[in-house]
Amino acid sequence: MNKLFQGIIMSKLGIVSYGSYIPRYRISIEEIAKVWDDDPSEIISQLQVFSKSVLGPDEDVATMSVEAARNTISRWKGNPKDIGAIYVGSESHPYAVKPTATIVAAAIDAEKELTAADLEFACKAGTAGMQMCFGLVKSEMIKFGLAIGSDDSQAKPRDPLEYTAGAGSAAFLIGKERVVAELEGTYSITTDTPDFWRREGAVFPSHGNRFTGQPAYFQHIVDASKGLMEELGTKPSDYNHVTFHQPNTKFPHTVAKMLGFTTDQIDISLICKNIGNAYSASSMLGLAHILNNSNPGDRVFMTSYGSGAGSDAFSFSITDEIEELKSYPLTVEYYVNNKEEINYGKYSRYKGILR
Amino acid sequence: MEPPKIWRERREKYLALGVLCHDCKKKNFPITQRCPDCTSGNIEEVKLAQTGKILYFTRVSQTAKEMMFYAPYIVALIELDDRIRVTGQITDTKFEDLTEGMKVRMVFRTLSKNGEEGLIGYGFKFVHI
Repeated sequence: MNKLFQGIIMSKLGIVSYGSYIPRYRISIEEIAKVWDDDPSEIISQLQVFSKSVLGPDEDVATMSVEAARNTISRWKGNPKDIGAIYVGSESHPYAVKPTATIVAAAIDAEKELTAADLEFACKAGTAGMQMCFGLVKSEMIKFGLAIGSDDSQAKPRDPLEYTAGAGSAAFLIGKERVVAELEGTYSITTDTPDFWRREGAVFPSHGNRFTGQPAYFQHIVDASKGLMEELGTKPSDYNHVTFHQPNTKFPHTVAKMLGFTTDQIDISLICKNIGNAYSASSMLGLAHILNNSNPGDRVFMTSYGSGAGSDAFSFSITDEIEELKSYPLTVEYYVNNKEEINYGKYSRYKGILR
Repeated sequence: MEPPKIWRERREKYLALGVLCHDCKKKNFPITQRCPDCTSGNIEEVKLAQTGKILYFTRVSQTAKEMMFYAPYIVALIELDDRIRVTGQITDTKFEDLTEGMKVRMVFRTLSKNGEEGLIGYGFKFVHI
């Protein structure tokens, strides 16, 4: 068990700004089911997902990360040269060797006095980056840190994952000035649990089917969430909103119920039903959407999940500063609604399945 | 694209930077060592406006090998809100939905891919607002 920043953090440390990006293209569950002669109503009822987002042919994790980062900087209106660290969490970086974080740094004009790295921890590498930024800012090694979760989620054609593997990006700027969501605490769980993996050089990931549920997703999220609430002395009813990793809509609903959160507390975060599972960006997009719909004084809980496996739980308290940032136009809601449906043929081309 | 070219052009392609001349007060794109209007060296890098309108546009179907993955694509002459004219691709938009005068916003996209193993070129394109 790995405890980070135990207990309540005394100085004001937290999220200073946030930004998101979701590509324009969508493919519906019906369209994918048609190709494989599956029953779409059965799949929709199992997953409670109706469509998923698909990258355009000229997009990748670097372009999505830059868009989310630029939305974060524009919303904040600060100087990108003050950013001392950039971490990009993803399992679909465009290069195996050549960091996405360097492209982001150049594209937001944060070069060159900063540290940067790409992170990989399945679907929780972005929240791991947030924790690294919280640590660096709290120790006053940097003034601001930018943590990004971004994925062009991979799934083998006909694999059950193909129905939900979407795309998106979310970024959070961490600092101590004009904090909009104060960090109350964060707490992590890490175990060697082989539920989902991709070997070096393999194009598509593999998974342990039903094994990805109880011992993996549910156990880690429950342990991390309970662990943090015990440390802070809080209970589910203390929070206005909660977001979990969203591989589909059913899993976060179920884990919310297991922990004692209500449907009302989790509903706002569930953008998965429209865009699918954005892997590293999944829980972070939920948090960005929550922040844009929260009010001063609200408390927000987030627990990510990354296969392999681990969970990072966070507790935030929303400050008066949030009102300043809510009017920024390019929100999660904007991107969810800015969409164009494509068929499986075009999807195959955009995903590089047709070569 | 070769590494030195990507490295040298990254500020104008990633950030859409031009130059402002402090003597004749004119803004120009791309980045140059001297002012293209008055040849003064008293210039500084400035960010161009991030929004503008389409002046003219066309669709490109036959193109270089490293661009064929994207074809057909749309190229337009854009007048940015600060009056600077730039050429760029229009993305995420159907050709039949485009009109002259349509408002556009800059986005960050891939411009080219050098095969399966080479470098990826990034830079600005436009989407309609």
